[in-house]
Amino acid sequence: MARPAAVARSPIPAFGSTDVVAGWEVSQTSRTSQGATLELIDCMPLTKVLVRGAASGAVADLLKTPFGRASRTLSGVLTTACRPEEWTLYAVPGSAPRLIDKVTKRVPAGELVTLLDITHGRTLVRLTGSRGPDVLCKLCGIDLSDAVTPTGAALRTSVARLTVELVRDDRNGVCSYLMSCDRSYGDYFFGALLDAGTEFAIEPQGFVLPGI
Amino acid sequence: MRLSLRPGEVIDRSRPLRFTWNGHDYPAFLGDTISSALAASGERVMSRSFKYSRPRGVLTADSLDPGCIVQVGDEPNVRASHRRVEDGMIASPQNVWPSLRFDVKVANRAVSRFLSAGFYYKTFMKPQRLWPAYEAVLKRFASGGVISNRPAAGYFDKRYAHPDVVVAGGGPAGMSAAVAAAEAGAQVMLVESEHELGGHLRWGGAHELSVLAELKAAVSATNSIEVLIDSVVAGRYDGNFLAILQRSLPGVTERLIKARAKTLIVAPGLIERPYVFAGNDLPGVMLSGAARRLINLWAVKPGTRAVVFTANSSGDAAAQDLEGAGVEVCCVEDARRGGDVVRASGSATLQSVECGDGRTYQCDLLVTATGWTAPTSLLNMAGDKPTYDERAARFFPCSLPEDVLATGGITGDGSLEQILEHAAHTGRLAAGRARVAGGRLRKGVPHAAPTDSPVAEEQSNAITALPVDAHVALFRGRTHGFVDFSEDVSSKELEAAVAEGYSSIELAKRYTTATMGSAQGKLEVVNAVAVVAAATESTITETGTTVWRPPYAPITLGALAGRTLEPVRYSPMQSWHEARGATPLVAGAWIRPDHYGNPTAEVRNVRSNVGLIDVTPLGKFDLRGPDAAKLLSQLYVNKWAKLAVGSVRYGVMCAEDGVVLDDGVTGRLSDDNYLMTATSSGADTLLEWAESWLQTEHPEWRVHITPVTSDFASINVAGPKSRTLLERLVENVDLSAEAFPYMRVRRGRVAGVEDCLMWRIGFTGELSFELHVPSSYGLHVWESLMEQGADLGIAPFGIEAQRILRLEKGHLIVGQDTDGLTRAYSAELDWAIKLDKEDFSGKPELSWQAERSDWPKLVGLRPEDVTVVPPEASQIVHDGAIAGRITSSRMSPTLGRPICLGLVAPHLAEPGTELSIVLPAGVRARAVVTEHLAHFDPEGQRLRG
Repeated sequence: MARPAAVARSPIPAFGSTDVVAGWEVSQTSRTSQGATLELIDCMPLTKVLVRGAASGAVADLLKTPFGRASRTLSGVLTTACRPEEWTLYAVPGSAPRLIDKVTKRVPAGELVTLLDITHGRTLVRLTGSRGPDVLCKLCGIDLSDAVTPTGAALRTSVARLTVELVRDDRNGVCSYLMSCDRSYGDYFFGALLDAGTEFAIEPQGFVLPGI
Repeated sequence: MRLSLRPGEVIDRSRPLRFTWNGHDYPAFLGDTISSALAASGERVMSRSFKYSRPRGVLTADSLDPGCIVQVGDEPNVRASHRRVEDGMIASPQNVWPSLRFDVKVANRAVSRFLSAGFYYKTFMKPQRLWPAYEAVLKRFASGGVISNRPAAGYFDKRYAHPDVVVAGGGPAGMSAAVAAAEAGAQVMLVESEHELGGHLRWGGAHELSVLAELKAAVSATNSIEVLIDSVVAGRYDGNFLAILQRSLPGVTERLIKARAKTLIVAPGLIERPYVFAGNDLPGVMLSGAARRLINLWAVKPGTRAVVFTANSSGDAAAQDLEGAGVEVCCVEDARRGGDVVRASGSATLQSVECGDGRTYQCDLLVTATGWTAPTSLLNMAGDKPTYDERAARFFPCSLPEDVLATGGITGDGSLEQILEHAAHTGRLAAGRARVAGGRLRKGVPHAAPTDSPVAEEQSNAITALPVDAHVALFRGRTHGFVDFSEDVSSKELEAAVAEGYSSIELAKRYTTATMGSAQGKLEVVNAVAVVAAATESTITETGTTVWRPPYAPITLGALAGRTLEPVRYSPMQSWHEARGATPLVAGAWIRPDHYGNPTAEVRNVRSNVGLIDVTPLGKFDLRGPDAAKLLSQLYVNKWAKLAVGSVRYGVMCAEDGVVLDDGVTGRLSDDNYLMTATSSGADTLLEWAESWLQTEHPEWRVHITPVTSDFASINVAGPKSRTLLERLVENVDLSAEAFPYMRVRRGRVAGVEDCLMWRIGFTGELSFELHVPSSYGLHVWESLMEQGADLGIAPFGIEAQRILRLEKGHLIVGQDTDGLTRAYSAELDWAIKLDKEDFSGKPELSWQAERSDWPKLVGLRPEDVTVVPPEASQIVHDGAIAGRITSSRMSPTLGRPICLGLVAPHLAEPGTELSIVLPAGVRARAVVTEHLAHFDPEGQRLRG
């Protein structure tokens, strides 16, 4: 009997019918015809690579993303720096080996750099919509105004009493936040965001390629 | 009686409503409060007072109204002069029995002379043994409504905010300040406690209404003003951290906003002060503001024949409004010309008023306008100590911090235009200060490129102060009356308190409970101070005021609690466990399967077939770098330098005092890469511990430690058939005992999933393999194992079965078989401690312990009675003294008898020693110290199989 193909699953329970995208079981999108004004997307399939290295080292030169910021200095990759001497790279599903190889090749021998594929260890969601700050301000004490947390801001903070890496990453001029937390909290975290967004008609959405 | 259309009325006559009060049906209009609707129907008595059961009615017609506190449905203590009527609402009086018309507690009036201040303290303290009886009776007299045992159904919420300027008070000054601040570039939050903006303009004349319309339009046109109505700034804390309670939101019952305002403008206006005289609490006696609100907001005629006692323009305006509403004003007693009121009389409601010169008027309405109280609470919370102005007969702000400003009536008088101008200046100043504060804040925010924008300079502080009008000092007349309507405290009782020695206002307050009722002093404090000042023959300034503390207004427990945010952690296999009816075990934040119905059967299955346990919560850390072994050697008591690639080793970690901190297994995956595990509960501590050593003691070490607990789904496959099972699913790895012996690690493909780690270790004493697979495939691998193991008798097992299995095998659990004093030698870990290492955490203490022999020891214990399982934590006694305790205890399904571990005194640790265990109810059970900690397979043949 043929063994079923391994399918990766998100910690966020599927809502509605499911599909398999890039080897991941994802909820099918249910956008209204006009498009949801506030949506929460399970972005679990995106590749996540943790990079640790010296702030003055080759890896910092390569990633060109100072602490507290996010940028797209590598092609197709969102680089965030929520902690000193630590970066997280977000890219399309299945690209971790390529990314790790790419960075490894640019690091001189002898420089201490840790590169870890943390795709499966972190829950990743994207909250998009002009009411996004209204949802987050129910769960997070950070000043989310444009002046203090503009697009490109990256920080590690408490959201819904969890340690969360929060990145303001606007999409087509619309306010958008990419948030990641420990995978095991994924179900709780997604539920807390949906609960907070209920009064703003938030809609959960499934992952769609490329997703970054 | 309802009046004809009023220009500023807030009721919608096209939206009639019905509601129930006191068991009877009443009409209302949308926009009516409970008390306005009742007043419109001619009801004057809305409650009974707390102590003397005196009838009470509308006094202030706003949220402070002490005589209008009612029960609505299952919600007690609702402010009937603030809460709007909803269709079908059921309201009832509270604290009355059998009815509002006749309350049995009226009898208290007959003994009122004995119920003065301090009555409880003097009467019920002795004899002490009777207190339970007193308490049972007194509880029936407690004020307040009936609390439902059911959880509140509404959505209670919290929110953070970071406005530039918060304006507390949405009257004309607050609105003007908000608009000016917003026009100066500030993000403004305008907070108003009433249902609409406008303050006293709402019940004013044509000019006031015109100005109100302009202000409202200006607020609406300014996008950067967030208006919160039916909301209150309940507290101001350091750094302008404000607690704001917000109500009247669609879908949200109450929301507590935690605002970090750069600047706070306090613009609460003034609160009208009652006058103290005999009968001042009778229904029909009300403040001028109440009469004007009833007439102009709700089109209610508050009486038919009125006396107006006035000392200011508000009283004058009330007299005009009354006449305009068709009320016969039989007397305007003007305090500015020496007039006074000394007595109001009536049985249940007002029937006559006696003036100071002896004139008496038959009437059903007495309106008083005798002065103002400045609600300085928020200023007090900001450190201000308001000062009393004798000329104006009220308190004023004195010294405010930079981030707090005040405007409006609280700061002075003047024309409406002067107040608006003052407020606008204040708003602009607040915006300027907020800009400066914001500039400082933004300097600390990381940007892609350095910003050279200078911090904005603060604007000029110069604001022309408002004029202060003279006002007759009216507090108490020639007769005694109520000072605190909520607590039924009279001026006579305050004087009695002073006579008993409570001459400080703070002491008199606590002794009499004056100012401690529902209005929290906003109506009563100045009168109380004045009465105490007079009784002590001192001035109001000398007497001072009580301290105003948060909250400014009552907050429900629901608002304080907010939403339930209790983070929980699940493994990737949680859905499978739930579907199989696993009993959950809460282990820290983790939810784990305790068992699947029969832990005993689960144990037997592991011993005879194969079982699966989800051990995902096991702490896991990736160590990388050439100095990783140094870190391990520092953290653990045993050696790591020679651990070969592909091998794993058990390690014990001690704190600097030699106490066992954690344990776990670490595998060497490559030259510079290790995977370290820790107990589920100790993972966070371990990371902090390791980082502490790296960052403070050995920053020169080149190693990174990264938590990867959730990166892997961890599954322990245990039992004699575990190898057979895995051979069906594992590719690229030789699972034979020779190629993959005990305490080794391999990387391979499991059920088609790449990069799975397999460890030949286990906690059960059986042949077992611990799989660490990428979490997203955890459920796939688990389901594959269950499917492939069906013919092998596979079954899942939970934490309880694992605990039994490990106890049979004699494996200790850190934190259960050890405690906060258990050093490593006490835990029978001698074999692991390598004192010949250069250094490790706890080495000095353990070296000292090794030289002594007076420490307790962990031993295996075999109870003699095979039917008795001593409870964990049972005392072990010897020669009449406590000699230890049971740390772990279970009935062993494998051995058919109870098995235990225990910490005992060293002289009792020899195998064969008989010990006595104290069971519940004092019964003793005997147990014998065993040769090994392991009760089953002490040689370890099964796990090495």
